[in-house]
Amino acid sequence: MKCDSCQGKATVFYTQVIEGKLRKFVLCEACAKKKGITNVDDLLMGEDLLGNSAPQTKIQDLVAELNQDDCSSCGFSLDDFRKVGRLGCPECYDVFSREISERLPSMHKGGIHKGYLPEGVAMKQALKSELACLAEKLESAIEDERFEEAAMLRDQICKIEEKKGVAES
Amino acid sequence: MMRFATLLKHPADWMMGHGAETSVVLTSRVRLARNLAKSPFPGWSRKKDREGVYLSLREKLELVPGMKDGFSHELCDLDPLQKQVLVERHLISREQAARSEGSGSVVNRKQTLSLMINEEDHLRIQAIRPSLQLNEAFKLAHAVDQRLEKLVDFAIDPTLGYLTACPTNLGTGMRASSMLHLPGLVLSDQIGPVLKGINKLGLAVRGLYGEGTESLGNLYQISNQSTLGESEEEILDRLTKVISDVALYEVQARKKLMSEDPIMVRDRIGRAAGNLSYAHIITSKEALNHLSMLRLGSDLTLLPPDLVEQCDRLFMETQPAHLQWRAGRKLEPEARDVIRAQMIREKLQSHLPPAINLSEKEN
Repeated sequence: MKCDSCQGKATVFYTQVIEGKLRKFVLCEACAKKKGITNVDDLLMGEDLLGNSAPQTKIQDLVAELNQDDCSSCGFSLDDFRKVGRLGCPECYDVFSREISERLPSMHKGGIHKGYLPEGVAMKQALKSELACLAEKLESAIEDERFEEAAMLRDQICKIEEKKGVAES
Repeated sequence: MMRFATLLKHPADWMMGHGAETSVVLTSRVRLARNLAKSPFPGWSRKKDREGVYLSLREKLELVPGMKDGFSHELCDLDPLQKQVLVERHLISREQAARSEGSGSVVNRKQTLSLMINEEDHLRIQAIRPSLQLNEAFKLAHAVDQRLEKLVDFAIDPTLGYLTACPTNLGTGMRASSMLHLPGLVLSDQIGPVLKGINKLGLAVRGLYGEGTESLGNLYQISNQSTLGESEEEILDRLTKVISDVALYEVQARKKLMSEDPIMVRDRIGRAAGNLSYAHIITSKEALNHLSMLRLGSDLTLLPPDLVEQCDRLFMETQPAHLQWRAGRKLEPEARDVIRAQMIREKLQSHLPPAINLSEKEN
């Protein structure tokens, strides 16, 4: 959501009721201070209002949600996603991964792509998982002081990284 | 480049069947959703960005074999009637018809491949084949996909697969569907449980024009819902198996109706033929339902066999936009109903036993 006064990212939602007239402001922190809403922390009454009966996780969820940034690459917000069920750009899948992964089980047979991938992507992925596996082996070899094996693993990793570099270029 | 009028003059290759077994499964369609890695999705991008994506994609799509001499238009160049005609031919979606600048349609001459630019996703590659040929349709779309991935950087995540504007298309980005003609199951009141069963298997059943449309003319579309967690092959195999089963139930239902209640079936088909041969005012819905019975009559060899192809053409050509395009002007629904009836009478004259021609007597 955008600040009413400067179009920056709004974090302060201020509702005023004077003589029965309701006015709502959505402001960024800087503009809120300028408008005299000086101590933003004083306005955080969420926990008071929800009382002790509200489970801690619920409050944590609410806080996490308030802190959820918009997608830096396209400006899409979690709110937008909830409203329209679609995303703003490919990057959004990273930014809103938590919310998306919660929804996937109700839409699909599984959560991991098993279908076609272009050659380059498939190869990169295979090299990546091979690297991760070797790195794990290397770590345990060092831990157990099997240095000869560790040296061999290190050479193998270097070779694959080279190959990966070639594939990426 | 192919003109709109030329596109319309020729029925699509898949509309003709060409000897394929189409008595129950009329067509198979596969569409792949693809997006560019670095651009916001069409629904969230500025007009300027969309137009940039359109121009760059169009240039590349025209390099695909068979596309260069095909039909290629930005939707803002088409009037609402032309867009509606493309929807009726399943060459663009209803959703895309509502778009204009920066959204475009590229169709090959045979109308077997239709590429939609800036629909819900940057690109949708659609292939259509007659009868139950989902694998063949996929092969066609996949070949275009493989050619384009060398020219375009598609948005892909190794774990989530192809990234799409809506997470319901994530993974393979593939939606495969077949159009089925199920009058036997409808007449024998078995359609309800069959549709329920299909839903239970995680597949979707829709009417003639996709999501939210009612079933007309006993035509139903069956498609996959899940696009992530299974390979294209697994999805197509599962779908093909279910569709063949439904087709088998339909054939059995027709046989059973003919052995248990042949007079009822003959009566329905005869009344449909009568209505279509003599009606002077007919709505699109009524026409579709009668044509469905006529098609059944032809499939059951109660009527001439070449009537099937005629019915399939009329299914398309009696739709409101096709009818208005043919008439060369916008028509009110009442006027359409008159022209529709006239067109059907004329087309069926050579296929059905001669009827008393009331129109001629009047003249």
